Amino acid sequence: MRSIARHPLLRRLVETVLTLFGVAVLVFTTLRAIPGDEITATLGTEAAGLSAEQQESLRAYYGLDKPLVLQFFSWLGNVLTGNLGFSRRAGATVGEMTANALPVTMELAVLATIVGLLIGVPLAMLSASRPNGVRDGFGQLVGLAALSVPNFLLGAALLTVISRYAHYNPNAQGFAHFTQDPLLNLQQMLFPALILGFGLAAPIMRTARSALLEVQTQDFVRTARGKGVAPWRLRVRHVLHNALNPIVTMTGIQFGYLLGGAVVVEQIFSVPGLGRQVLAGIQQKEYAVVQSTVLVIATTFVVVNLLTDLLYRVIDPRVRAA
Amino acid sequence: MTAAVAGQQVPVAAPPARAAAWRRLLRSPAGLVGALLVALVVAAAGTALLGLTPYDPIAQHPQARLQPPSAQYWFGTDQFGRDVFSRSLAGVGNSLRVAVVAVFLSALVGTTAGICAGFYGGRVRGPVLAVTNVLFAFPPLLLALTLATTFTRNWLTIAIAIAIVYVPIFVRVSRGPVLSLRETDFIKAARVLGIPTWRILVRHLLPNLAAIVIVQVTLSLSWAVLTEAALSFLGLGSPPPAPSLGSMVFDAKILAGTAWWNLAAPGAVIVVFVVGLNLLGDGLRDALDPRNGRNA
Amino acid sequence: MKLPSALSAPATRCVLAVAAAALVATGCSSGTPGKEGSTGSGTLVVGYTADPNTLDPWKATQFQAVHLLEQVYGTLTELDGDLNVKPGLAEKWQYADGNKTLTLTLRQGVKFHDGKPFSSADVKSSIERIQKPETAAVAAATVKSIQSVDAPDPQTVVLHLTAPDAGLLAGFATTNLAMLSKDDTSEAIGQKPNGTGAFTFGSRTAGQSVKLTANGDYWGGKPKVGGLEFRIIPDQTSVVAALQSGNVQFATLDDPLVAKSAEGSGLKVAKTPSLSYHVLQLNARKAPLDKLDVRLAISCAIDRKQVLDTAALGAGEVTGPITSPAYKSDPNARPCPTRDVAKAKQLLAGAGLANGVTIPAIVSQGEYATSVNEAQNLQAQLKEAGITLDLQTLESGAYVDKWVAADFTAAVALNGGRPDPDGMYGRYFTSTGNLNRVAGYSSPELDKLFAEGKATTDPAKRKEIYTQVSRHLEDNAAWVWLFSSYGYTATTQGVAGFTPMANGSLQNLRETSLQ
Repeated sequence: MRSIARHPLLRRLVETVLTLFGVAVLVFTTLRAIPGDEITATLGTEAAGLSAEQQESLRAYYGLDKPLVLQFFSWLGNVLTGNLGFSRRAGATVGEMTANALPVTMELAVLATIVGLLIGVPLAMLSASRPNGVRDGFGQLVGLAALSVPNFLLGAALLTVISRYAHYNPNAQGFAHFTQDPLLNLQQMLFPALILGFGLAAPIMRTARSALLEVQTQDFVRTARGKGVAPWRLRVRHVLHNALNPIVTMTGIQFGYLLGGAVVVEQIFSVPGLGRQVLAGIQQKEYAVVQSTVLVIATTFVVVNLLTDLLYRVIDPRVRAA
Repeated sequence: MTAAVAGQQVPVAAPPARAAAWRRLLRSPAGLVGALLVALVVAAAGTALLGLTPYDPIAQHPQARLQPPSAQYWFGTDQFGRDVFSRSLAGVGNSLRVAVVAVFLSALVGTTAGICAGFYGGRVRGPVLAVTNVLFAFPPLLLALTLATTFTRNWLTIAIAIAIVYVPIFVRVSRGPVLSLRETDFIKAARVLGIPTWRILVRHLLPNLAAIVIVQVTLSLSWAVLTEAALSFLGLGSPPPAPSLGSMVFDAKILAGTAWWNLAAPGAVIVVFVVGLNLLGDGLRDALDPRNGRNA
Repeated sequence: MKLPSALSAPATRCVLAVAAAALVATGCSSGTPGKEGSTGSGTLVVGYTADPNTLDPWKATQFQAVHLLEQVYGTLTELDGDLNVKPGLAEKWQYADGNKTLTLTLRQGVKFHDGKPFSSADVKSSIERIQKPETAAVAAATVKSIQSVDAPDPQTVVLHLTAPDAGLLAGFATTNLAMLSKDDTSEAIGQKPNGTGAFTFGSRTAGQSVKLTANGDYWGGKPKVGGLEFRIIPDQTSVVAALQSGNVQFATLDDPLVAKSAEGSGLKVAKTPSLSYHVLQLNARKAPLDKLDVRLAISCAIDRKQVLDTAALGAGEVTGPITSPAYKSDPNARPCPTRDVAKAKQLLAGAGLANGVTIPAIVSQGEYATSVNEAQNLQAQLKEAGITLDLQTLESGAYVDKWVAADFTAAVALNGGRPDPDGMYGRYFTSTGNLNRVAGYSSPELDKLFAEGKATTDPAKRKEIYTQVSRHLEDNAAWVWLFSSYGYTATTQGVAGFTPMANGSLQNLRETSLQ
């Protein structure tokens, strides 16, 4: 028994389950601490006109009359059997809503990551090719800008400019899933992905730059250079390749953050992703929506981390041995 | 995050002399510019704190509403006829206060927890790491959002909400180095000599962690400023009439087409502020990393 | 060793190709906005900032939900452009028995969307269900005076009242008193609305859109558009962006700043004075506001026009208590018709508060656009009279909680108005009103006036009575009424025939056409 429990994979699994349970408890308790409930969120100040009996029956209607512990475990039990709850606002189960929103968020995260890598890695290579030179200065400046300009500022400005002056606003046409209308979908994802990707480029660029600098000074690079390997080939095949590890780790971490961190950009560009689903749930005090969606995001985050670790092992066989 | 990477190659040697670190910081262009920008921003906050702004940041002059920038109103006025320049200065102060308190709290709690988890292992490590994992798995902006909605809204509760989000970062950043430091000869020797644990922690471990924590603090400050702004943008920031940079941006969002200066001024100040903090963070990291001595 | 896929050469090419395709697509289609294959060409797209939070008309108070459901459901009476009562599902009516019996004659040949005929049995069942506490209908209080409902034949409904209720007919004209089929349950219509309105419910996608189709069998004639799509765009500025690009053709805006930006960019923007009013609610049951002089001091220290100019950029009208056109209060009929800081200070001194007074006030952030701005200007103005308004900015849930519990000293609020002054203020300012706790003020004089107003159906007499009500409220500074803002309707050039209403209703979408 003890030896099984010590198996790293199993321990990791147990840890993961505990973490998710913790997330469940945390989201459940913070939500109840927020003033207001689904009754006042739905009725607003008109709730004041309800008689005591009317209030009573509404509490039962929204399932708010049961003890909290019971509410928690019946929700958790439902989630374990695949029932994520029901949203009266959306007229759909949280499962259906999530099935719609998760692919959108994933797509946005993937596109943003691609943009981030496309900006970050070449910029880092440019920077690292002449440390402390003009190119390095330029690269670092772009990285700094990416790190310092808030995405809501960039998003709001971009949207105002394009729709006011170019009369172009694909995001107002009603969201199209990739499977429905790939062309429109990509147009709608373009600006959000560019903005998120630009922000993402900063940590990727910085990590890549320091990793590249580290690798460049190593013996095998000098040897390769001595053997007359072409400089671009040297940079890509030898240096970049060996600096991949930290880049992949950083990208993985950032990708995970995008799952729930895109809420502001989703809100500005009307992208129906998970972040907005949570935000709307909080505003409407639809507890089941928020709880289940956060749990889904957390699960995805944990899985992405796990995959990043695995990828890490594939890239660097030494980790496997360790 | 960069610091988290740096943390893997922890300097185990004695910390570099403080004066030398300062010199190194100010010699690097990034560090110098960063320090200057941050000094500028802090000075701005100071003037507001001392009441030296050209106008009272919350005084309304209804007859001078929405004036464009001019010699009289450098950054123009808002819809109440309040001076945007004075408000930006005061806004820096409020944003800085939220950011500093948030980062101080998270650094204090996070580093303490990280050290304990790293040093004691076992019974302390389990719960600390469990909590850290939970907080990490919770999407940070959503966590801040939920927490900010929960409490009665004032600058302190916003700071606490942001602090909770950043605690796990400090736990991770400090725990790693402690794990390796624990196994070094001088700590082992100290333990054998029977020096009390608290003394080992304070006298020997903490100085070795200082560099990493300081760098992380600087970088976290910039995130905290951005998070406060993002929360304000979603309508959950510091309450009026005291201006904060984020809430100024939020209020000005709909004025962007007609009175752009209301958006541009606080937006620019945020960017300058964050650029400064990032540059300072970079400069500090280079200056405090003893391995950089040979490069310079 | 293999490179990770994101960086291998073929993958990179692929990524670049996708990015390029996206860019090309961007370039190509930028000139042809607004094309959609899935809906008919006659669909009017309405921009909308949030999902409707319920499909139950009896529980709908959120603007979005009401705007949607009033297209789908019918009411016994309706209102015309001047908010006078006109026939709806009831074609005519007759008072008898000293105004204690009301006989309604229903329109013939009306059908629910599911094909069932609409009859007096549905009216009886609807009213009786609305009155039951379990239904938790928000307008239950409006039909409180109905003692029993008879349905002698399919076209006739007889309402027996406990006492005369002159406001009842106007009261019927709300989606909250929509007529439901006797065979429908609240759960069923929460999924699939079934009304008698001009549009039938089509489909909805959470967070994206709700689609309605024109009802060919509608008693008022088939609508001029083939359908409506309520498209959810979370942010008002983004709604304007969507109108500018032509993807959305119709939207209501409540933020004057946003409306201004829409006006400047070639959209048609119509403004309508609205019934709802911005107000500083004073709770006269809490110290120090229990002193009349303190309330009057506050009333005298505030220039309403300044609040309107700063908070809403002048987009509205200074108002007294009653906002409905037929009973409108004279905004200058109050103790200090113009701002009088000296008088305010004198009143405070008279109340023994010469050194100033602090009054906590709750403000909601996010509930409506101008709340925080109003609060800031009120604070600045009151400060000059030695009154410190201690603002407590709350997220809307927290604000509603406190408001509902009457747990505040003062509250910056935007309250909805109603066409009939009894419906509007009877519930607040009569001692037995269900919102009297929130109003924080009542008096025997007011109780008497409201009772008189209910008992008579003579318009001239009623006007006289409610002018006195209005005067009493101002003289006692029950609240400080500030202004009523304009509601804005922004449309693209091709939209015609829509008449906005002062109560914010979009019922005239059924008469709107799209070129």
